Amino acid sequence: MLAVIKWGLWSRRWSTVWWCVGIISLIAINVLFYPSFRDQSAQLEQSFAQIPDAAKALFTDTGDFLSPVGYLSSQIYYLMLPLILSILTISMGSSLITKEEQDGTLELLLSRPISRTKLISAKAVVAFIIICLVTVVTMISTLIFASMVDIEVGLDKIALATLLSAILSTLFGIIAFCLSAFGGFGRSISVSIAALVAFGSYIISSLGEVVSWLSGVAKFLPFHYYQPAEVMYGTYNWSYAAAFVVIIMILFVISIIGFRRRDIKN
Amino acid sequence: MDGVLQTNKLSKSYGKNAFALRDLTINVKKGEVYGFLGANGAGKTTAIRTLMNFIQPTEGSATILGKDIVKDSVELKREIGYLSGEIALYPKMNGRQFLSYMSSLRPPKNKDYPGKLVKTFKAQLDKPIGNMSKGNRQKLGLIQALMHEPEILILDEPTSGLDPLMQEYFFDIVKERKSKGATFFISSHNLSEAQRMCDRVGFIRDGRLVAEQSIADLTEASSHSFEITFANSIPMSSLQSIDGASVEKLSDRKIKISIKGNLKPLFRLLANSHVIHFDKPAASLEEEFLQFYESTNRKGAK
Repeated sequence: MLAVIKWGLWSRRWSTVWWCVGIISLIAINVLFYPSFRDQSAQLEQSFAQIPDAAKALFTDTGDFLSPVGYLSSQIYYLMLPLILSILTISMGSSLITKEEQDGTLELLLSRPISRTKLISAKAVVAFIIICLVTVVTMISTLIFASMVDIEVGLDKIALATLLSAILSTLFGIIAFCLSAFGGFGRSISVSIAALVAFGSYIISSLGEVVSWLSGVAKFLPFHYYQPAEVMYGTYNWSYAAAFVVIIMILFVISIIGFRRRDIKN
Repeated sequence: MDGVLQTNKLSKSYGKNAFALRDLTINVKKGEVYGFLGANGAGKTTAIRTLMNFIQPTEGSATILGKDIVKDSVELKREIGYLSGEIALYPKMNGRQFLSYMSSLRPPKNKDYPGKLVKTFKAQLDKPIGNMSKGNRQKLGLIQALMHEPEILILDEPTSGLDPLMQEYFFDIVKERKSKGATFFISSHNLSEAQRMCDRVGFIRDGRLVAEQSIADLTEASSHSFEITFANSIPMSSLQSIDGASVEKLSDRKIKISIKGNLKPLFRLLANSHVIHFDKPAASLEEEFLQFYESTNRKGAK
């Protein structure tokens, strides 16, 4: 099992480095612009006032763009970070099993005395380590850039907002993982369904704030419970995040059950 | 029941009446080299993938070394060496990294043996697998299947892509492992290859085992063909009068004769003739296999 984890991490080392570089660059661009944004807040306030509420709801969960929390939420936490992390988690979730299966190397592994449960767990550990690594890099880089520009949000709150974003993205990733573990779905189908859940959940939850008939539907979607601004204000109900973790674990167990029973394609 | 690889009506279907494998019952004995022969799409790979528990049987059961192929699959893999028909390795690894990865998942019993196999097959270890030829990838595939000296070897088209010299090395390794008690289950559609290494063969067609025969019996049952060139005229009437012979005239002085059964009358006749050239073309088993298929097809049509 350790060998599978080691090779999984080794084979993804460069892609992980590039993910980290990309995220650091985006965070740097967004956070380091904060001082100039803050200096022009009077002029920008008039411009933002003209933006319809529905459009605002797609970019922030606070309704404002100018406060420190509003800025971080609109520029990083509400859309950009979960979007980028979800691309990473969904692509990993869909490929960890399916790529080896499509390449034919899954048979090589299963011809060894390693159970399917251990194999799929090793693959999940690879994904978990990479997500943790990227999250820690994101967290540290945000903390460094935020302290450089004196943004008035507690660094602990920024770290927790990053963590919540990673948990939500992992939830979307495990949906892709679960679908590919069950088989019958190709890699592209797993990606499409997980991306549809993620993006649909984001759109419905965001518009649910301003469109009354969508608000009922939004309550059943994960993005509704993703409230980074509340985290940064210190008022977030962390039982929502705990529920995300529980769902992730349940989907992982379902993935194991599905993978254990199904035929391997050739 | 003394077999180390036994199947009992093992079947795999994909939906009603879509059988890829149907009622396969075989019994491979310890130390035996069993050839599993059939045309492409006959069900050889399905049978092998079921034995390896990559796909689940829909009916029937099978045991290897007395253990159930489904329930005890993980434990069994310690003593099975497997080679896939469509060899797929990790293109970004080089040969050394690949064998090291495979060893870490199932360590060899004898640390020197993988090196010996690498030497025998002249495998390339420092080149990325993605840049290797089919033959070189096949060598690595064979080494990973053999390097832990398993008791059972399940090999799907093992000589595919190997040059004739490497095929010879492979046949030698089969002999060596067999002498140490290893049992082989080898699929192939190459009959001369089966003739070289197998003790017994089973023919599969449309997912069903249609016949099983020892190589010795099969060879004996097959007809013998000879091409003979005479110095003078051909003793055609004498040749045609030999029991079980069919004669084809190739030129004024050359004939091809096929005889099923006793060869003594032919040689007695040739001893009294002036023969300038005598040749025995190969591939008798291929002919036999085709005859076998054609005859079972005709029976099936009736």
